[in-house]
Amino acid sequence: MSDELEKLYQSTYTAVVRFLYRKVWDAERAEDLAQEVFVRALAHRPEKPRAWVFAVAANLARDEARAAVRRKRHLTLLKGDPIAQPAMTPAADDTVEHDEQMASVQEALNTLTPRDREILLLWDAGLSYPEIAAQTGLAVGAVGTTLARARRRLVEAHDRQQRQTGDHAAHS
Amino acid sequence: MRHIPEDELHAYLDQGLSRTQCVEIESHLADCSSCRASRDRIAALRDRTTSLLARLAPPRQIPPAFESLRRRAAEEASQRRRRAHVAAWAASLVAAVGFGWTASSVIGTRALANPEVVQSPPPVPRAIAASAAEPGPDSAPARGAPAPTAPAVARPERVQRAPAQVVSRPARPSRSAKDSLRAAMLAVLDPAPAVELTQLDDSRSRNAGEFDGMWRTVSWDGARAEAGERLPHIDGLRVLKVQVQAGEPGKRSVMVVAQQLSSGQVIQTIEGPASDVSQLLARRAMSGVDSVVLRGDSLTRSAGGDHAMAMQLGDDRMLAITGALPSDSLRAMIRRLNAEMRSK
Repeated sequence: MSDELEKLYQSTYTAVVRFLYRKVWDAERAEDLAQEVFVRALAHRPEKPRAWVFAVAANLARDEARAAVRRKRHLTLLKGDPIAQPAMTPAADDTVEHDEQMASVQEALNTLTPRDREILLLWDAGLSYPEIAAQTGLAVGAVGTTLARARRRLVEAHDRQQRQTGDHAAHS
Repeated sequence: MRHIPEDELHAYLDQGLSRTQCVEIESHLADCSSCRASRDRIAALRDRTTSLLARLAPPRQIPPAFESLRRRAAEEASQRRRRAHVAAWAASLVAAVGFGWTASSVIGTRALANPEVVQSPPPVPRAIAASAAEPGPDSAPARGAPAPTAPAVARPERVQRAPAQVVSRPARPSRSAKDSLRAAMLAVLDPAPAVELTQLDDSRSRNAGEFDGMWRTVSWDGARAEAGERLPHIDGLRVLKVQVQAGEPGKRSVMVVAQQLSSGQVIQTIEGPASDVSQLLARRAMSGVDSVVLRGDSLTRSAGGDHAMAMQLGDDRMLAITGALPSDSLRAMIRRLNAEMRSK
């Protein structure tokens, strides 16, 4: 059982981190939560571990979002403390470009309804239609419909943004 | 001829259809150029989505060894067992105290007729005597709080200020006799090692300045209710004592939580307004300071064998941890604590 979990861990850990990252937008936190998910899986020994792992990840991310809202004050680490340093500091130009690209997709993703977004992210994390259906309570037949809509809207929102940025650049 | 709906083509490309459905679609596609065009368009849309989402990826990290997660799971399981143990123990304690309370009310009535009991109450530890001075709704057992620290309910400040209230008030003999009996009972039942925040108390009595807030010992549940998420503690360690310094109204109070490591050593975590916490640390350091080392913004002070490590949180708040441990251990702990508090 725990061998099966270990295999699952090797094959999906990165996908779980990415899935969480797209919800909490904090790489370190996403890693922490992903590890928490697998620690819990070891304790619970779920029957369908892959679907279970993503379901728990989604719950943790939701709790995290709620806590973030509640937490008015942000605990900032001391400057000068090693933990406070960013994990990676790539070359400045790359970073800016990467950040901009990321921000535009993030913004496009935010235009989707929570349900469409969830299903798109679950699909992108590698879940099958039946797994997505089981997790979201959607009928299997409705997963394709939802994904069709979500994909179209994501690309449309992104293209719209690119056009606006282009117009803006042309005017300035 | 019916064309294939768009969502079915998505499902087809996503391999979300049954074998039979796939065969149907494939045979239709072979004959229908319009649907083939749709399929290609949707395949492109799919690829586009995937490549857009691929940008939303955190910097790739090497996953920790699965073995480390296994160890963590095992540790957490044993902690859960230990907590269940403590909960059962606390429940039995509450029952025992309840019994003692009932019994004392019976004996207390008799004590009315016996003035000698009043004059010489049995010797009990000071903290316990203090708890006897405050029976009733303030005491943790009466609240039914199943905390390991439940019997150590004390209001040392009040006792120090007005000791006359406790001992020399013959006008209310029954209360005093009842209390001392109950106190003796609690002293027997109290299994927690007597951990006193001696430096806190000493420095306060020596130097009753502006930092002279009232210190209360509260039950874990009481403290939880009061402080909520900002109650500083390290998950999984046994809680010995929780003290709260009531500030002025409207001002946030300082919280001190004493916890015991499995090695038996005691650490205290402190959280509160930065000025109050640093003052507290400074006072404690005064009682036997060897050195004051400022390292970045976190400071290490030695007070006797005790080290303290403090960390500034946002909005003028400070988190500190003290204990007779190497400063490296304290540093590791305060980081863990900080991370835990951030995660809540």
